[in-house]
Amino acid sequence: MNTDPEIVRDVFASHYFFFAFMASLGTLQIATSNSGIRGLWLIPHRRLTRWLGVALILAGIAVFFAQPLWIEGPWAAGSVEADSVSREWGQADWGDLGGARNVNDIDGGLDGTKQAIWFPLAAILAFAVSAVVGTLSVKILMKDAASDATAKDNDLEITGGLAGMVLRSYFANLPDSLRSLRSEIVDDWRTGLHAADKWSLFRMIFGRS
Amino acid sequence: MELVQNDLWQVLGVSNIDANIVIWLNGLSGNVKLFDDLMRVIASDYLMPLAFSLAMFGLWFSGRTRAQRVQYQITMLVGISALTLANIVVWLFNITWERPRPFVEYGDQLNLLFYPATDPSFPANPVAVGFAAASAAWTVNRKFGWWMFGAATLFGFSRLYAGIFYPTDIIGGALVGIAVYAVASYLRRFLEPLITSFVRIIRGLSAA
Repeated sequence: MNTDPEIVRDVFASHYFFFAFMASLGTLQIATSNSGIRGLWLIPHRRLTRWLGVALILAGIAVFFAQPLWIEGPWAAGSVEADSVSREWGQADWGDLGGARNVNDIDGGLDGTKQAIWFPLAAILAFAVSAVVGTLSVKILMKDAASDATAKDNDLEITGGLAGMVLRSYFANLPDSLRSLRSEIVDDWRTGLHAADKWSLFRMIFGRS
Repeated sequence: MELVQNDLWQVLGVSNIDANIVIWLNGLSGNVKLFDDLMRVIASDYLMPLAFSLAMFGLWFSGRTRAQRVQYQITMLVGISALTLANIVVWLFNITWERPRPFVEYGDQLNLLFYPATDPSFPANPVAVGFAAASAAWTVNRKFGWWMFGAATLFGFSRLYAGIFYPTDIIGGALVGIAVYAVASYLRRFLEPLITSFVRIIRGLSAA
């Protein structure tokens, strides 16, 4: 490799982040269209949301693996061999595309640890985008003849968490989620204190019931 | 230690069978460029590992009821723990036995389609990770789990075809992945309160 591995790593990191973001967004759309969590849909239609998810994943894969055609990196045409050490900096051609991304991590490719850092960040961003755009989707859905959702939906009575986003946006649901978490913590604290009291030293010594 | 293991491998005849399979399979490369390129893409460090991560991510949001969602989410967290554990187990194998890669021993007979990795060959780390993720998916959704096992097997095959692993590395990786998930599931009962509390906090943020 004729380039500093750190420069190569930066290129890979930015490309991988975008790839992981697109694919996470797509996966989130497919998963939420199946589970009916409308608050995270990018489009207010179940079937379209699912197909959009598939399209986002495929677009992410296509862009990531085809990027060497128009972006310069350690994959200059004609220099892409299995061994990433001898590569030149430049744009790839179609013949090199299959192996262009196969760069050893010691030469600037992303190792498992780096991917384990970038992927969660991309997934969180995908969730945030879905939550923001989903707010608009829910508004459109609610206008649409009280939506196709019915009161029979699985766990509509449960507020907070993902269940609360079946018919509400993320931002409308958040206060209930936090309230529910707070009440759970208070309950746990009380239960914990009660259990601890059963075995307290004071009781053991004085035998109080 | 390494010499003893290498000798044992030779005596059992595993090494020869292993080498013959990888040489034969890799010998098929170079005929159809499109297929070779497809294998290069599948064998890459990015596509299949991301697919395994996405499967875990998707499971988090997939439950149709609250109970199912909690089950999926806890399984996903156990699956992630298993992935970490799989890396540790593979590392322990690697420091015990530095098995050379096929291209190191049979470089003149192989058409290498992937960069020459520098870490030991046995067991195949990416396959271990793939099988650990597939095992997690399989426990909550059989159909999806079988697809995941298929994807992990394809990943292993592509790396075998590329000439960077022996078949026994792939089998070893698969066994490590499944075993590690089984151990992580067993340990789950001890960590249940911690995992449940984590899911609760995320639910408080409207994300679980």
